[in-house]
Amino acid sequence: MFAASSASGLQQTTSYWVVLPFYLFAAVSFLVSCILLLLNTDVVHLHYFNPQTLAITHLMALGWGTMIILGASHQLLPVLIEGKLASYPLAYFSFFLAATGIPLLVTGFYLFDTGLILQSGGILVNASVICYFLNVITSIGDSKKYTVHAWFMATAALWLFSTTFFGLILVFNFSRLWLPENSIEYLSLHAHMGLAGWFLLLVLGVASRLIPMFLISKYDSPKTMWWIFGLINSGLLGFVLLKTFAFYKSFYYAPFALVFIGLLLFINYCYQAYKVRIRKHVDEQMKISLIAVAMLLLPMITLLIVIYLISPDSKSNLILLYGFCIFFGWITALIMGMTFKTLPFIVWNKVYHSRAVGKTPSPKELFSEPLFRIMAILYLLGFFLFLAGIISLNDVLLKSGAVSLVASALVYVWNVAITIFHQPARNGSIKQ
Amino acid sequence: MEVLSNNNLYCSAALAGLYDVYDPEIGLNVVDLGLIYQIDFNDTDKTIVVTMTLTTQFCPMGESITTDVHQSVGNAFKDYQVSISLVFDPAWSPERISPEGQEFLER
Repeated sequence: MFAASSASGLQQTTSYWVVLPFYLFAAVSFLVSCILLLLNTDVVHLHYFNPQTLAITHLMALGWGTMIILGASHQLLPVLIEGKLASYPLAYFSFFLAATGIPLLVTGFYLFDTGLILQSGGILVNASVICYFLNVITSIGDSKKYTVHAWFMATAALWLFSTTFFGLILVFNFSRLWLPENSIEYLSLHAHMGLAGWFLLLVLGVASRLIPMFLISKYDSPKTMWWIFGLINSGLLGFVLLKTFAFYKSFYYAPFALVFIGLLLFINYCYQAYKVRIRKHVDEQMKISLIAVAMLLLPMITLLIVIYLISPDSKSNLILLYGFCIFFGWITALIMGMTFKTLPFIVWNKVYHSRAVGKTPSPKELFSEPLFRIMAILYLLGFFLFLAGIISLNDVLLKSGAVSLVASALVYVWNVAITIFHQPARNGSIKQ
Repeated sequence: MEVLSNNNLYCSAALAGLYDVYDPEIGLNVVDLGLIYQIDFNDTDKTIVVTMTLTTQFCPMGESITTDVHQSVGNAFKDYQVSISLVFDPAWSPERISPEGQEFLER
C-alpha cells in the first residue's frame, strides 16, 4: 500500500549556513538603499539616468531583491523540485562573489567611475550569477522533476544571467563603445529582462507553490501556470525583438498585453487558492505578500501611461515612479512578507531541529509580531508618501516618505537580527 | 483519516501521545493533520514501525517532526524499538486532515 518506505527517506533541506548570509546582506542593502534615497530625494527632479538613481536602483535590484531571492531560492529549490541542491560550494561562491561585486558596482555608479570599480563589480556579479545558474540547472537535472515550477526557476535564472551579462556589456560600453548606440538607449531592455525575466518569473514560480502551501489550499492548476509561463516569456521575448529591431512604438502594446494577461491570470490563481483555503486565519506575513501581488498592478498602469500617453519630455519622473513602484513597492512588500515567513523556519531548524516534544516555540514566535506590524505601517506610509511626492514633485512629501522608509528598514533589520540571533531559553520560555 | 494498525489497542495508546506532536508551522498535531498512515507492532521482536508522511518531501520541519514522533511512540512503549518509515506515495493532501483538524484551521 505504501511505496518506498525508509526512515532515511527524510530528505535533508539546504543548510542554513548557505542561506543566512544572503538574508543578512539583503537586510543591510535595504537599509542603505533607503538612506541613499533619503539623502538624494532631489533625483526626482532630474533625468532618471543619473549616478545616484543608478546606484540606488542597482542596490535595490541586486543587493536587496536579488540577494534575498537567491538565498530563499537555495532553500526553496529543493521543495519545488523535490530534489537536493546540487552544490553547496557553488552557493557559497555565488554569495561571496555577489557580496564583493555588488558594493563595487553600486560605488562605481554612485561616483560614476565607469572604469575599474564599475567593471570589476560587474564581472564579479556575473560570476556569481553563473554559479547560481549552474546550481539551479544541475539541481533540476539531478532531480529529474521537470514541473512547471522547475521551468519557472530555470528560465528565471537564465533571464538573470542574460540581464547581468547585458548589463556588463553596457558597463564596458560606457568607455569602449562596443554597441552601436549609447548605453542609455539600452536601459529599458536591460531593466525589463531583469524585472519580467528574473524577478517576475521567479516570484510567480515560487509563489504559485508557496501561497497554496501556506494557506493549506486544495487549489492547484499547473495548466494555468503553464499559460502564465508562456505569456510572460513570449511578452518578454517580443519586447526584446521590438527593441532590437526598433519597431514602431504602437507595436509595444502586444508584449505589454501578454505580460498583463499573465499577471491577471496569476492574481486569479492566488484568489482561487485563497477561496478554497482550509486555514482560515491568514497571518500578517501572508497578508502583506498578497498585497504585494495586487501592488503589481501599480507599475503596470504606470508603464502604460509612460509608453502611450505622455510626451517624451515629461516622461522622466513617471519612469522614476514606475521603477519606484517596482523596487520599493512590489518587490519590497513581497520580500518583507516572505522574509518573516521563511527566515523563522530556517532559524528554527538551526536551533530546535533535534529538541524534545512540546518544548519548542513555533517558528512564528522567533520574530517580533508587534515590530512586524510597526514595520508594515511605516513601510506603507513611506511608500505612499514618496509615491505622492514623485507625482507632485513635492519635497516635503518626498523627505517624509523617505524618512518613513528608513524607519521601516531599521525595524526590518532589527527584526531580522532578533530572528537570526534567536537563542533557546534555558527555563523553557522564549528568549529573543 | 483512519490510521491502520495490526493492534488497535496499542495503536490507540501510541496515538494518544502523538496528539501532542505538532507541525510547528501549522500548529496542528500530526494525527489530525493526517501525517500518520500506519502503526504496526511486533510483540515477538519488540519492534514498532510508524509509517508516516510529511506535507512535502523536502519539508524544512521534516527532521524535527519525525524525531518528535519517534520520541513520542518510544515514550509510550519503552520496551520496544521504534522505527519511522517515511513514505511519499500516497502523497499527503489537505483531504487527509481530520474533521477536528479542519475545524481547528477554520477558526
